[in-house]
Amino acid sequence: MSIESTEAVVQKPDQKKPQRRQLSDRAIVNLFIWPALILLIAMNVFPLFYSLYLGFTDYSAITRQQPQWVAFENFSKILNDELLWKYFATTGRFALLSVGLQTIVGFSLAMLVNHKFKGSGLLTTLILIPMMISPVVVGLFWKLMYNPTFGFFNLLIGYTKFLFLAFFAASLFAAYFLIKRYISKKKIYLLITGILFGVLGVVGFLAYFSDYSLFGFLSGFFNPSTAPDMLASRFAGTPVPGMALWAVVIVDVWMWSPFVMLLVLSGLKAIPDYLYEAAAIDRASSWFQFWRITLPQVAPLLLIAILFRTIEAFKAFDLVMGMTGGGPGDQTELISVNLYRQAFLGQWRTGRASALAYIILIIIIAVSNLYIRYLNQMKGED
Amino acid sequence: MSNFREDGPGYPVTEATRVDKVSPESRILGKMRALIVAIIAIVMLIPVFVMIMTSFKARSDIVSVPPTVVFKPSLEGFVFLFTERAVVAKARQADFKAAAETGELNIIERVAFEAGQEVTGPSDYVTRLKNSLIIAGLSTIFSVSLGLFAAYAFSRFDVLGKDDLLFFILSTRMLPAVVVTIPLFLMFRQLNLNDTHIGMVLLYTVFNLSLATWLLKGFIDEIPIEYEEAALVDGYSRWQTFHKIVLPQAVTGIAATTVFCLIFAWNEYAFALMLTSENARTAPPSIATMLGRGGIEWSAIAAGSLGFLIPVVIVVFALRNYLLRGVTFGAVRK
Amino acid sequence: MKIKYLLMLTVVFVLILSACAQPTQAPAPEEPAAEEPAAEEPMEEAEAEEPMEEEAEAEEPMEEEAEAEEPMEEAPAVTELNILWAQWDPADQLQQVADKYEEVAGVKVNIIQEPWGSFGDRFFTEMAAGGDAWDMVIGDSQWLGQGATQGHYVELTDFLTETGIKDSVTPATLTYYGEYPTGSGQYWGYPTEGDADGWAYRKDLFENPDEMAAFEAEYGYPLAVPENYEQLMDIAKFFTRPDDGLYGVAIYTQKDYDAITMGVENTMFSWGGDWKDENNNVMGIVNSPENIESLQFYKDLYECCQVPGLSNAFFTETNDAMLGGQAAMSMNYFAFFPALASPDINPYADDTGYFPNPAGPDGAQHAALGGQGMSVISYISDERKQAALDFINWYAQDDVQADFAALGGYSCNQAVLESEEFLNAAPFNPAFAETMTFVKDFWNIPEYGELLEVSQRLFSQFVVEGVGTAEETMNQIAEEHDAILRDAGYIE
Repeated sequence: MSIESTEAVVQKPDQKKPQRRQLSDRAIVNLFIWPALILLIAMNVFPLFYSLYLGFTDYSAITRQQPQWVAFENFSKILNDELLWKYFATTGRFALLSVGLQTIVGFSLAMLVNHKFKGSGLLTTLILIPMMISPVVVGLFWKLMYNPTFGFFNLLIGYTKFLFLAFFAASLFAAYFLIKRYISKKKIYLLITGILFGVLGVVGFLAYFSDYSLFGFLSGFFNPSTAPDMLASRFAGTPVPGMALWAVVIVDVWMWSPFVMLLVLSGLKAIPDYLYEAAAIDRASSWFQFWRITLPQVAPLLLIAILFRTIEAFKAFDLVMGMTGGGPGDQTELISVNLYRQAFLGQWRTGRASALAYIILIIIIAVSNLYIRYLNQMKGED
Repeated sequence: MSNFREDGPGYPVTEATRVDKVSPESRILGKMRALIVAIIAIVMLIPVFVMIMTSFKARSDIVSVPPTVVFKPSLEGFVFLFTERAVVAKARQADFKAAAETGELNIIERVAFEAGQEVTGPSDYVTRLKNSLIIAGLSTIFSVSLGLFAAYAFSRFDVLGKDDLLFFILSTRMLPAVVVTIPLFLMFRQLNLNDTHIGMVLLYTVFNLSLATWLLKGFIDEIPIEYEEAALVDGYSRWQTFHKIVLPQAVTGIAATTVFCLIFAWNEYAFALMLTSENARTAPPSIATMLGRGGIEWSAIAAGSLGFLIPVVIVVFALRNYLLRGVTFGAVRK
Repeated sequence: MKIKYLLMLTVVFVLILSACAQPTQAPAPEEPAAEEPAAEEPMEEAEAEEPMEEEAEAEEPMEEEAEAEEPMEEAPAVTELNILWAQWDPADQLQQVADKYEEVAGVKVNIIQEPWGSFGDRFFTEMAAGGDAWDMVIGDSQWLGQGATQGHYVELTDFLTETGIKDSVTPATLTYYGEYPTGSGQYWGYPTEGDADGWAYRKDLFENPDEMAAFEAEYGYPLAVPENYEQLMDIAKFFTRPDDGLYGVAIYTQKDYDAITMGVENTMFSWGGDWKDENNNVMGIVNSPENIESLQFYKDLYECCQVPGLSNAFFTETNDAMLGGQAAMSMNYFAFFPALASPDINPYADDTGYFPNPAGPDGAQHAALGGQGMSVISYISDERKQAALDFINWYAQDDVQADFAALGGYSCNQAVLESEEFLNAAPFNPAFAETMTFVKDFWNIPEYGELLEVSQRLFSQFVVEGVGTAEETMNQIAEEHDAILRDAGYIE
């Protein structure tokens, strides 16, 4: 007898005659899935339903009165509240920026670490450390670092001038390689880009070493009153709207890029070498290899990473609360921070908070659905 | 390299000698790559360095202007972390000074006194750390195991309502912790799980289950199904294929998932705060809100965070080879 | 098929859970189950609803069960009392004093300290469940409203009157830390830790001859502790020297909970402004010209002279500013000043002086109130309640209060506050004693949280973020407060 497919549809009776006593496929499936499901249901059902119920009441957890049914009043109040829409917009912007940057940084890191070199294990562990620190502690310490008076952040910005140096050096290298390639391949665009990079590098170096004042602004901010105050959204005293949000985004990206990196790395490791070998034999360019081999293989895991990070971006509040408390004003008041404020911190509007939480849930579900659909499409499981 | 044709390889060939990987350019690029990664790692770790430095700084060094990189190390942070203290009232300061001079105080008390405080007993940091180890460790094991089984089943079989079930599993993670806290608190009270290790283990297992299932499903999907088909044809049972074929290949995924679940359970703050008080309280609530007498004890928080970080780093370091292991089969061509 | 099976299981489980749930939630879970789109078992739910309602009525058996589980209950006498407070010095001081109670009455008193950040949340979560984890709580003055109206606190009016404790504390503290509603004569707490906002300043800077000469030359009057806010502003501007790393003030700006509102209150109250009138009206009161002016003043002070980086500052940050020598003056609750007075924490300790909140342009002088009162939780057994009252009775005695004050606690006992020992015990005590005579509070009604959120958000927006004008801000606060109060029925 032969097995046509390894996909056993649970409902049909098992067709395989066991040659020795073994668990049937159906039993395996049941055994594997049910414990997880039972646990999930047991622990989650009451909170989920109870919260939903509370969303329709005006209950306040500290009063010992019965919840009063108010139907959709909470929901309509929330959806009509301008302030809350502003918070949603802030959260959306935060999620977009944060997840986007995390993906880019994480992916690049994974690509870099993918090839085995001495100490790659150690370095990988080190890069993973930011993710391992408790978010509240991260918030506290970055608050210390962002402090314009005794924090390291302003000091370190001064060292970005070395990044510029490195960039110009890299431009020169790039120019060298491009022109070499032009000599072998005779493609005109190589020549043009090579010359451009070369010019950029040379001019940059000249500018850097001759007129230093051009880069003076990057020499580090030692005087607090002319320095950026990231968490207060000010630069030398004048308010710069949006700075505080960027401050939070930077910390979030710092903290969670390793997450994306690790997942992408695992995906990259799973790509069999022979694919690349075949492509190399066919003289495919690196870009082609990346686009057609690497990316599609990694895409499912990458999408899972993005999915989870997006969900977390909507839920995260430890970090923000520790750093800015939602301020200055409303600039970093993410929806989850506001949720916490309504549910606790003296207000204890449990009913309203539950309604808000469910609205957030619906939004997250909608967004996740999009991701998942895309994910399934990619895997051909339509 | 240059005399390859005549002398052969000058060193053991441990990498695949891919056509496009042995030119001098790509060797330089390879070395540059290592350098860049090292630089990035250092830059990313700067805040961690700040934390380490802070844990060894005395109070005045932390808030000094401009930030000090070179300073006189002090054990203040660690002493603050491991002891409970109270500010010495003016009336008693004279007594203490005398005791310090005659050498009656041990080193811990002396450091505490230098900061104007007296030791009133050991803090519960070590207990909290122990609680964290138990709760996070157990819940990680459970969630990864359960998730592994579920993920395999979802990946290989056509379970009815698979998409819906998977979505349900994901949705358990979507509701903000804040809102679920009160119902959970009430539920735990009813079941007498409040402030117990079991309760917290259950809770974290459940919350990690969604992450574990989804991640592991993603990983298992990547494993070509042909191996199992071949094994089944050879007469292996389903359980044996799972055990002997799928598991070894899924090791990278399992390692990564373990790391994530561990980190989440380890650092979880909101539930630990609300659902525990004395018995089963883990470390994050105590570290995070360690507002000391009259000011944030940065050094104690830094010391506590470091101490808290180290077990996780150890675990990840131990798993690093699994994390970086590649697929070296190649025995199956599609 | 499978989904239906699942949902059936779900509903059954929910039913079981509801059956054991406390009465306040018992009828609840049934309703959402009905809402669920996949509710294929309406029959089962309808049947289940009857037994649910019966359970709801049976409140007493539940509470008694809970009590019966208390192991302490079996013992004929209470041997331990648990008091919840925040994690800070006064709690340690109370513990030290309370340890003596064991010798007196054989009852061990445990002060359970919860860090400030989670103190409120933990307390109210436990209260929401009607829990008896603690016998007493030393709660914020703002919690009185909720504690009283929602039945968390035991009413202490008779107890305080009969034992004479009522007259042993200053009238102001009794009103603020014990009375609810204000003016009703009903008391729910024993004033334990008095606290208010005060100021610390660098004496060495103020008393430096060169500084004094330069100041007098520039402003025309001698440099001294400011008696009104105008002087404070002059001094702050004078000492703001970014190049030297010195700034005029470190004031409250934190948005999280209540800090910036408390900060603005200091100026607001001294300008003669208030949050409401006797009839709880707010329109015209909250946005009165004095309030607007004082808010503008606070913002100007922040803009010109606040230490950079203190855009979300509360007691730790303002203290840090003094410890690091960045601020010439800083605002803080008196309860946090011991750290500044300790030479081992504060390198400038001997050069730090303290003064009460200055007066406004019209001579009115008030300070924002802090502090807590000791209340008895109503969910514990009667025996424990009696034991708790006994403890309070002992604790309120003059000599015990004097001990507390000697350790550094801020007793509210009249005799202690007037005594020489108290005034000499710490450098900030004289300022404290003076301040306690003119303290003023925010709302203490149960809805205070919502009112606070409004003022926090809008003050932070105006002062820290720099959006809008003082008038617009105050107008908006008035409007939103008005709406909240009307909703809650305080205004007709």
